[in-house]
Order: sequence, then C-alpha cells, then structure tokens
Amino acid sequence: MLQIKNLSKQYDGKTVVHDVSFHIPKGKVISMIGPNGAGKSTVMGILSRLIARDSGLVEFAGKDISHWKSKELSKRLAILTQSNNIQMKLTVRELVTFGRFPYSGGRTTPEDQEIIDRAIAYMELEDFQDRFIDELSGGQRQRAMIAMVIAQDTEYVLLDEPTNNLDIYHATNMMKIVRRLCDELGKTVILVLHEINYAAFYSDYICAFKDGRIAKFGTVEEVMTKETLSEIYNVDFEIMTIQNRPLSIYY
Amino acid sequence: MKERTITLVLACCLAVASVLSLFVGVIDLDLPALLGGDLHQLEIFLISRLPRLLAILCTGVGMSVAGLIMQQLCQNKFVSPTTGATISSAQLGILIALLFLPASTLWSRAVFAFVFAILGTWVFVWFIQRIQFKDAVMVPLVGIMFGNVIGGITSYLSYQFEMTQALSSWLVGHFSLVLKGRYEIVWLVVPLVILAFVFANHFNIVGMGKDFSRNLGVPYNVILFLGLSIAAMITASIVVVVGSISYVGLIVPNVVTMFKGDKLRGTLTDTALFGALFVLICDMIGRVVIFPYELPIELIVGILGSLIFVGLLFYRLRGKKPVRLAAQKGGCCS
Amino acid sequence: MNGIAVRSNHRKLIVMAVLTVLCAVGYLVVEVNFSNPNLVRYAMKLRAPKLLAMLITAFAIGGASLVFQSIINNTIVTPCLLGMNSLYTLIHTAVVFFIGSGSALAVNANLAFAVDVVLMGIVATLLYSYLFRKTNHNVLYVLLVGTVLTSFFGSIQTTLTRVMDPNEYDTLLTSLVAGFNNINNEIIVFSVILLGAIVFFLRKELALLDVLTLGKAQAINLGVDYDRCIRRLLLGVTLAIAVATALVGPISFLGLIIANLSRQLLRTYRHSQLVLGSVLFGTIVLLGGQLIVEHLYTYTVPVSVFITVGGGLYFLYLLLSRKKV
Repeated sequence: MLQIKNLSKQYDGKTVVHDVSFHIPKGKVISMIGPNGAGKSTVMGILSRLIARDSGLVEFAGKDISHWKSKELSKRLAILTQSNNIQMKLTVRELVTFGRFPYSGGRTTPEDQEIIDRAIAYMELEDFQDRFIDELSGGQRQRAMIAMVIAQDTEYVLLDEPTNNLDIYHATNMMKIVRRLCDELGKTVILVLHEINYAAFYSDYICAFKDGRIAKFGTVEEVMTKETLSEIYNVDFEIMTIQNRPLSIYY
Repeated sequence: MKERTITLVLACCLAVASVLSLFVGVIDLDLPALLGGDLHQLEIFLISRLPRLLAILCTGVGMSVAGLIMQQLCQNKFVSPTTGATISSAQLGILIALLFLPASTLWSRAVFAFVFAILGTWVFVWFIQRIQFKDAVMVPLVGIMFGNVIGGITSYLSYQFEMTQALSSWLVGHFSLVLKGRYEIVWLVVPLVILAFVFANHFNIVGMGKDFSRNLGVPYNVILFLGLSIAAMITASIVVVVGSISYVGLIVPNVVTMFKGDKLRGTLTDTALFGALFVLICDMIGRVVIFPYELPIELIVGILGSLIFVGLLFYRLRGKKPVRLAAQKGGCCS
Repeated sequence: MNGIAVRSNHRKLIVMAVLTVLCAVGYLVVEVNFSNPNLVRYAMKLRAPKLLAMLITAFAIGGASLVFQSIINNTIVTPCLLGMNSLYTLIHTAVVFFIGSGSALAVNANLAFAVDVVLMGIVATLLYSYLFRKTNHNVLYVLLVGTVLTSFFGSIQTTLTRVMDPNEYDTLLTSLVAGFNNINNEIIVFSVILLGAIVFFLRKELALLDVLTLGKAQAINLGVDYDRCIRRLLLGVTLAIAVATALVGPISFLGLIIANLSRQLLRTYRHSQLVLGSVLFGTIVLLGGQLIVEHLYTYTVPVSVFITVGGGLYFLYLLLSRKKV
C-alpha cells in the first residue's frame, strides 16, 4: 500500500537520493540502514513530508502523498522524528491527547479518552501521566512520544533513528516496543537505524542504502550476508547466528 | 597568486576612488591650481577634503575589521557592532558624558564611549556564551533586542533631561562635520587595526572554541576579551566622530569571506580595503545625488547595505540543505 | 484530565481579572474631584477611551506576541522585530516632511490612523508573503530580514528628520512616541472591527496553535498544513501589530513582557488561557505605566520608554534564566 517510485533529491547540485524505488510490505518491521550520507534519512524525510522531493512518487493507497489531505493522511501514517524539543509545559497525558487531534481537533470525546488511557497503559506510563515532559528521562520521554503515536491509531508508523541518544537498556527496550507495535497492534513500522544488529534482530526486512541508492532490499537473512555488508560499509564483516538470527561483527 | 591579484585590484580601486573623492565637493578644486600654490584651495584641501577622506578611510577600515573580529570570535556570521550592542552602548556612553560632564571635550566623550562600548560588548558576549542557541540567526536577534534595551535606557535619560535633539547627531552617521581639529580621534583606528593584525591568528584559534584554544596553549578568556575590546574601541572612536554606521561591519566581512574563506590573516587586508572602498563609494554617492547638498552616509549605507544583506541572505539560502545551514553556523563561542 | 492544573489556572485568571478591574477602577477615579459631577463626567470622558485603548492594545500585542512565539517555537522573541514600529515612524515623518505638520493627514487623527493601517497593511502583506516564499518558509530568516527593514526604514526616517525644519520636528516628535492621548471613539471602534476581522479570518489556524507548539515535525504528523498555516498566522500577527501601532504608536517589548508573564504564571500550552492572561497582564502594565507617567512624571517621559526599559530588564532576566534559546 505504501510504494516508493523513482525518488530523487539533490542538495546544492549533489544528488543524495538517486532513483530510489521500493515497496513496503504491510504489517512488517522494515529497517533502513546504511553509512552516513547514504540517503536513508532523506528518504525518511520525504516519506514524512518534511523534505520536498525533486522527482518521483510516494504512493499511499494508490494516491501520491502530496494529493492526500494532510488530516486524512495523519489518521493512517504517523511520524516520529528526533527533533522533538518541546518547549511548552506539557504533561505526558496532554501530549498523548494530541494523538487524537486528527480525529477530534481540540475537543476529545469519551471514546478518545478511552483510547488515550489504553495508549498510556500500553506504554506503562500511568504513574507519569501528570508529569511534565521536560521533567522525564530520555527513555520515558521516548515512550511518551510512542504512546502519542499509538493514540494516533495509524496503520503505518515512521520512526527516524528511535535509538539515538539512548543507552543500551533503553535502546533495546525501544526496539522491543517497535516489535510489539508490529506483532500486537498490527502496525507497519518503518525506521532508520544506525545499529545494524538491532535491525537484524528486530526487523523483518532491511533496506540497505549506499550513495543515495538502494544497495540491497530483502529479508533480514538476505541482506545480512558477509559480502553485502562489507560492500555497503567498506569494513570487514563476520556473520554469526544467535537465537536463529544473523548478527554481525565488524572490525 | 590569484589571491594577491584580488588584493592588488582592491588597493588600486581604493587609490583611484580616494583621489576622485578629494575633488568632489561644493567648491571646485583643480589640480594645477592646487599644485601652483593657490592658498584658498590649499586651505579647503587641508581643512576639509583631506580630513574627510582620512575619516572615511578610517571608518571603512575600522568598522569592517571590527565586524570581522567579532564574527571570528563568536563564530557567527551575523554578529557585528550593530547586532552586538556595541554601537548602542557607545551612544549611551556619549549621552552620559554630555549629561554629567557638560563641559566635556571630544576626548572625554570618547573615553566614555570607549568604556561603555567595551562593557556593552563584553556583557553581550557573556550573555550569548551562557546560552545555547538553537539557530545561528537567534544570536543577532538577541543582539538587536539587547541593543534595544540599551537604546531604551538612552532614550529614557534623554527624555528625562531633554537631550533628544542633542543626541540625534550621534544617531546618524555623517561626514559633513569632519574638519581638521575635530576628527583626529578616528586615527585611533590605525593602531588598533595593526594590533588586530598582530593577533589575527590568536583570534582564529579562539574562534574555534575554548577546548581547542586550550589545547594549543592560547589563553582563551584573555584573547577573547582583548579581541572584543579592540573591536569595541574601534567602533567607539568612529561613533564619537562620525556617528553610527550600520551594516559595514556586517556586510563587508561576509562578502569578503564568501570569496576568500575564513582564515583571518588572509582576509583581514581584503576586508579592510573593501570596507574602505565601500564607505568611500557610499560617501561619493551621497555627495553627488542631490548636489550641492549632501545626504548623510548612514542613509546610503543603510539602503545599499540592506539590499546587499538581503541578497546575501537569499544567496546563502538558495538550494542549501536547511539542516546543514543551521548546523554549520550553529553555536556561538561555545 | 489534569484537572488540578486547569482549575488552579482558572483561579489564577480570576484573581488576575479582579486585579485588572481594580487597577482600571483605580485609574478612572484617581485624583478625580467627586464633589463636582461635571468634573467627574469630564474625567471619565477623557479616561474611558484611554482605558479601552489599553485593553485593545493589550489584546492585539499580547495575542500577536503569543502567536508569534509559538510559530517560531521560541519565547524570547517579540514581533516588534518585524519592523512595524519603524515603518510607523517613517510614515509619520514622511507625512510631516512632504505635506507639512498642518496638513489634514497630520492633524486629523482618524485620517492619520487610516493612512497608517492601510500603508502598514499593504507593506506587511506584500513583503512578508513574498519573503516567506522566498526563504522557503523559514520564519527565522523572515525575521532577520524584518530587522534589516527596521534599520532600512530607520535610516530613511532619521535622514528626513535631519533636513527637517526644527519646528516641524517638534510637532512630529509628539506623534512618534507611544501614548494614549490622541485616541477617540471612532478609532477605537475601527480597531476593534479590524482586529475582529483578523481573528475571524484566522479562526481555523488559531485553533491549531496548541498543536503548532509541538514543533514542525509533530504538527505535520498530526495533519496540519504547516506552511500555509504559518504563513497566514504570521500575516495576522503583522497586521495585528500594525493596528496596535497605528492606535498607540510604537511600543517595543510590551509583547515580550506580557506574553512571558502569562506563560510563567499559567505554565500551560493552551493558547486560549495564555492569550487571556496576557491581555490581563497587558492592561495592568499599561495602566501602571500610564499612572506613573500621568501622576509621577506629569507627561515628561512617554509611557513607551518605561515599558522599553522595564521590558528590557525583564528580557535580560529571561535570557539569564534559561540555557537554551
């Protein structure tokens, strides 16, 4: 249902995304990986409507996203970026309530309240719900943002480097949440990751970028090979299998 | 080799323009009469034309060098004596001198302007160092508001003591009152610019940040305050004689670094030459447009300057990756 | 939801409202000779329009500043950076310079108000919608150009004053400082209509303000047509400031003070509460300033100067009290 066709983007005459096409399988977790400047974040930005593309199509349910009404799209496609420096005095619950904005505007119905309650409970934030966002730790804040996305109740969720600035404990938790969003709530999750092994362990498909093009798109097993990874990152790789999952070691 | 050529071309242009400017004025001067020893013409030449030219050169060189130093030290392309509270502090100093030392000479006013300009610039930089800016553009905005605060105090005092009109001559820069005997303070610019040249490499290092300069054994705070004081004193000595001249300190260094990069030593000469040329041309336009009257330099610089500045801004924005733009110039003296 | 905070904010707002009413009554009755009903009527006739004008100013400037801060996502800026103040000063100087201080445009307050509003409105609309497109919807750069324009208008204006006849300059000076002395009923009605129209045309965008405070990415995620929304709001802010400036003259920092006081007191993201708070604060600040000017300084120092100095010190305090701007 979400399909990317011949996407291109230039900055200052330099092509950062070059004729990228791929189809996003529904109900799966898809990770985009690649070295710095490979174009994965730009593709994510274009999908999220935050960056204008030069050419190509992003088709959602048969219609290009630029032809969608912003409000309708926001009921089906949620975006979570790293640039979340909320200035306002906002409690966790108030933040999660914003997730219902596309449906009810400023006024929430009892039904909305129920959905909000469930989202907060799902993220185990009941004890924090009246705390201000800026008083929370990084991990809690991230969970609050996810709770908002859950309240937004979309089929698709786009996450831009969700493990950034989190320690191993919180990053792993984040990845488990991503898995649950897919397995328990049936969402399609597309995320940009720097850590290859998180991508290998927690996603279904991997889309590897190099120099603005897709170097390899496929299931985890297809992408996580010694040859493919070495070629993408220009570093030597070894692949090991732990818990039936391919994990990489690079040196 | 090519870089030398730019400097040479600039110097030649400046020399030609300077000579031209000596012969623009209400009373026609002509070279043969001057060389032939016409006393009247010689008098005009020595009392009015030459001082004016020297004042213009000092102003152009001084303001642009002051701007360049401030931009280097703060690592922010939008900082300048206008957007860094220096000019407004100098004006406040002059007002205080006028209020409390009514019999003050030009020199004592200059001392007040120096002290206030230095203090104002220090305080401003201290403020912007404490704060982390999300966007480089915030720094000049805060600076302008900072300047408004000082300007507010100035206008409070001037209303309270009915000095609004007396103050207005320091609010608009103009060269029409530059005559022999009452402009020499502006010469202070020369030793200060030389000093700036001597310390150019130090300023460059300090601009790279505290840790960077500590690593290279450069005393960060000392050099920072030295640089800011030099910039402030240059500005103050110009404000005392000529009045406020905006934009020169902002535009000239930006135009020059656009062509020559950020190494201070390399750009200092060109900045100084280009600044002098810019002010000189603005002055000539101001004198010619409604001849035999003249427009104040501040008007010409204001109009030309804002056009160039907006042009620069759009040039920088065009086709740039927005994220990179913010990150590249982000952070100030951090 | 979060009932305690909402209720305590209501209580705070009620206390503020009572304080404002007290100040207003105080302003109306101070130093009035109540033994003579004619004098009382005269004083009311003089003071009631001023009081109304302060309310309108507080609403226009306070509301505009709050919206502006939320658009930019920064509470340290004020829309006085947009250049409307210096445009106002330039218009008035140009009128006196080219047509003379005795002309109808300078003497007739209603006509002067109309000229101000129309000119500022046209300049604001053309300029800012053009700039916004040209800078790829980057509000900060628009703001930077605004400050450039401020000094651009300023240098023309100061040049005009320097070549001006000193007597004309004196009459000009009185109209250039903000004050509540040239206000009549027609102007008040007219400003209310204009501000009402602005609010009406922006009613949809104003409802989105709470979402905009989450930042661009989140606003887009939640289905806001971001660029269009920001463009319209910015235009509304500029026009509201233009109306307020035409009404009372240039006041810088008022918006910064009252918007931030309101934010500090209410500690909420809800703009309906914040705007109300800033209107109340604005009225109190203006009333206080006017009382000081009228009774302590007997009109020697204009009220705007007090607000600039006071607001400036508050601005420095705000700068010092936060780490990130």
